[in-house]
Amino acid sequence: MSVLAGPAVPVVSPPRGRASRSWSAAVRAVSLPLLLAGLVLPFLPLLLWAVAERYPYPALTPTVTSSRPLRLLADPTSEVLTGLVNSVSIAVAVAIIAALIGLSAGRALGLHQFRGKRLVQFLLLAPVIVPGLAVTLGIQVFFIRYGLSDTRRGVVLVHLLAAVPYVSLVMSSVYANLDLRLEDQARTLGAGPVQVFLRITLPAVAPGLAVAGLFAFLISWGEYVLTLLVGGGAVKTLPLLLYSYLGSTDTPVAAALGLALVVPPVLLLAVTSRLLSGEGTPLAGFGRT
Amino acid sequence: MITTRAARRRGLPQGLATLLLLAPALGVVLVLFGGGVVMGVLASLGYQPFLPGRDLSLDAYRGLLDDVEVRRSLVLTFRIALLSTLVSAVLAVGAALLLRGTRRGRRAALLVFQLNLPVPHLVGAAAMLLLLGQSGLVSRLLFAVGLVDAPAAAPVLTNDAVGWAIMAEYVWKEVPFIGVVVLAALSGGVSDLEDAARSLGAGAWSRFRFVVLPHITPAVVSTSIIVFAFTFGSYEVPLLLGQPFPATLPVVAYQAYSDTDLTARPRAMAIAVLITFLVVLVVLAYSVLTERVLRPAERRRVTGT
Amino acid sequence: MRSRALVLAGTVALALSACGGQDDTTTAEAPSPSAAATGGFEAVLAEAKGQTVNWYMYGGDDRLNAYVNGYVKTELAKAGVTLNQVKITDTAEAVNKVLGEKAAGKDADGSVDLIWINGENFATLKQADAVECGYLEDLPSTENVDLTKPGIATDFGLETEGCEVPWQQATSALVYDSTALDDADVASVESLFAWAKDNPGKLTYAAPPDFNGSMAVRTFFFDTAGGTDQFLGEFDQAKYDAAAPKLFERLNAVEPSLWRGGKTYPAAQTEVETLFANGEVDAYLTYGSSGIAALVDKGTLPKTTRSAVFQDGNIGNYSFTTIPSNAAHKAGAKVLANLLLSPAAALENAGPDGAGFTSAIDIAKLPADQRAQYEALGASPYQVPAAELAANTLPEVVSDYVTQLEKDWKANVLQQ
Repeated sequence: MSVLAGPAVPVVSPPRGRASRSWSAAVRAVSLPLLLAGLVLPFLPLLLWAVAERYPYPALTPTVTSSRPLRLLADPTSEVLTGLVNSVSIAVAVAIIAALIGLSAGRALGLHQFRGKRLVQFLLLAPVIVPGLAVTLGIQVFFIRYGLSDTRRGVVLVHLLAAVPYVSLVMSSVYANLDLRLEDQARTLGAGPVQVFLRITLPAVAPGLAVAGLFAFLISWGEYVLTLLVGGGAVKTLPLLLYSYLGSTDTPVAAALGLALVVPPVLLLAVTSRLLSGEGTPLAGFGRT
Repeated sequence: MITTRAARRRGLPQGLATLLLLAPALGVVLVLFGGGVVMGVLASLGYQPFLPGRDLSLDAYRGLLDDVEVRRSLVLTFRIALLSTLVSAVLAVGAALLLRGTRRGRRAALLVFQLNLPVPHLVGAAAMLLLLGQSGLVSRLLFAVGLVDAPAAAPVLTNDAVGWAIMAEYVWKEVPFIGVVVLAALSGGVSDLEDAARSLGAGAWSRFRFVVLPHITPAVVSTSIIVFAFTFGSYEVPLLLGQPFPATLPVVAYQAYSDTDLTARPRAMAIAVLITFLVVLVVLAYSVLTERVLRPAERRRVTGT
Repeated sequence: MRSRALVLAGTVALALSACGGQDDTTTAEAPSPSAAATGGFEAVLAEAKGQTVNWYMYGGDDRLNAYVNGYVKTELAKAGVTLNQVKITDTAEAVNKVLGEKAAGKDADGSVDLIWINGENFATLKQADAVECGYLEDLPSTENVDLTKPGIATDFGLETEGCEVPWQQATSALVYDSTALDDADVASVESLFAWAKDNPGKLTYAAPPDFNGSMAVRTFFFDTAGGTDQFLGEFDQAKYDAAAPKLFERLNAVEPSLWRGGKTYPAAQTEVETLFANGEVDAYLTYGSSGIAALVDKGTLPKTTRSAVFQDGNIGNYSFTTIPSNAAHKAGAKVLANLLLSPAAALENAGPDGAGFTSAIDIAKLPADQRAQYEALGASPYQVPAAELAANTLPEVVSDYVTQLEKDWKANVLQQ
């Protein structure tokens, strides 16, 4: 079942009794569209403003439309392209490094038993609980001193801090569900450790690894305040650009930028889920403590 | 599930293998996270690593809770975080049950449900600004039906004292997040148990309370903890959608940190330490409480099968 | 299979580009000795070749950004210097950055090369010994400026002592919708507040320490205190304490008539401008009244927009560019500062493609032909002519007053 299609949840048959059946059907008929409409509604003003030239109150749709905001996104002088390159390169770096870290840590967490395991799990989960801003304020002075601030390297590092807990969690549940007998069989057939890893383990954990990498990408892609702090305004990513456009009077460009921020993650999610279709989603492991 | 044969066969002692595997992750966390927390505490006491020594003191903490800005901020942050988490959890469970029972158009509904998962919070905040602002889309719709006649007459939902738009953004983003995890928890054969319960005469509410709820409680608890911690420590959403005063604690901390008067730095770090302390406290309390409630429920669930 | 490997290789390459290698923001050059030691603009130009200047400036003015990234960038490139504009919402961010680097022991290779600055931000840096000084004689453009003029020799009352280069002149004005306010309403602060009482919810100002919001509070302060004369010179706590409570009393009295009943204030000037553009407020004070004509022509603002100055005077000041003492590219920054102040740049700015600000250049000091070009530029019905703006300008006071007012406004008005 692909990530987008959701977990394999069987349909629950409606309760007995005509009265309760129609009541529940009525509730469902009203609440489902309401839920979906509520989820879609916030996208609407973004779409409308992104094609607007003039959109005065109280018009429901723009009175004058224009492709200027969207065209501006491709304009090299508008620094959106720089922002895009920065955002993508940083997020991809974070995804790859975090996935590798998770690949390694996940094995230990999912398969090994050792003293202090609970402590390690707690430590690795701590950055999820403790707000990243509070922690980064503390370490900022070292970033400045050691030349990491205002650089993409520094931003990658601080995004890693946010991503490592998630990838560790995902990979630990992936490894926990791994059937080690395949590895053992390969070994008895004479395969060396590298071969076992590349031919047996890696393909088995690859779907989970992709999801972990995706998580890390999304975390880095949408990050604002950590990039602002460590990047110091010199490393311009798309969220920083969006914030500065939101603070200007050019709402159409801000809206277009907002939409641009959404498209790559959604595309990535679609691609990953298609690659994963047929595999069980590791998200299922997320819910079990 | 566990085997140490592989490690032993390679000749590496089990402990060393584990350590090596965990090293990168622990390295990142201990250096960056641990360093940040420790440095934050030290800085709040007045320590500056690269400048000549100043006397350490608790001065920054002394007036902290008397400071009206911090006090009001504390109340606001807690209120927003608690309400957002509660509403998101309840709505998410409802949404998960709703989606579970949907027969026609199930794939499409699930797709729409998960659509905003990859959307960054900043974009969500921008969307809420354009939707719920006094000259936003909702206001224009109200104008079209004659309920308001000017932007000033529209309900104040953004940059307001309650934080309506802030909470709306959190709920909008977190309901699918919690919902997806709850759905995953519901995929593990719960429906069979429900059928069994129904055949024994249990009504809809009893089935929910004794079969479904215990199954999804771990999922709801763990995601609620994450949601609370996130909403408490979130910066960009209240920055965009909130008021300059009172602002949420992370906004106040950042503003204090950005003060050009560097002698105010300890106060900023003290606020950051306060944020850390409060979040950890609440999460610990929540985990302890739910452990106590969950364990009897777990027992009931196990013996129930 | 092969395509997947290609994609993999591509993403790894992309990722590596973020991890190591060149960053756009800093070059790999070692810091060079100050050009002032070797003397002369020629030496500065030679040293600046190939540098990239990181210029931290307020980024909320679209026309100014277009001017900077268009004309200024191109002209600077002719000297072999690359411009990297870093937009900030508040100059204090750049100040904080420099001070933060100093606190981290970074005394060279700083990330900030040039800052658009004045007032209390400059005072903070100067008092922390964080600015480069003594190079104004090397810059030819400074010949067109009267460096002894009060607003230029002293920045908000603090001696500049050659530590910053003049750039712009700003004078404040009230921008309003003439369908909602008439000439009598905009004559003075008192009449404006009276109009607000009759038309509640249509007036507001940005919360200090926003630059324009701070100016608004200062305007009200001087109006309440009866002028700026008594505040010129050193900061006098007694004089401040005598006048300030009356100001806050007055501001709290008018508060219920402001936008949102005064329960909140817009966090930044751009929000105020958006409110005015949406018709949610009908008047606001701004330093940027010279940009109004372009906005009306664009259709963002209604054709009924007008500007006015109060009878009792309006606040005006000069703004400068300054080079932090730990800047990595001081020579390039000097070339940029010199370019910004040049007559050619000022003329370009005053033209149709320009940003519409007023240069700090003394027009009387220009050669006759350039002076004629200036005087040929037309006026606009939507904004107050530059001469009238400058006629009744009140000088700025010591920045200690500014900081004190900002702090006390927060305590006495915002947090009530």
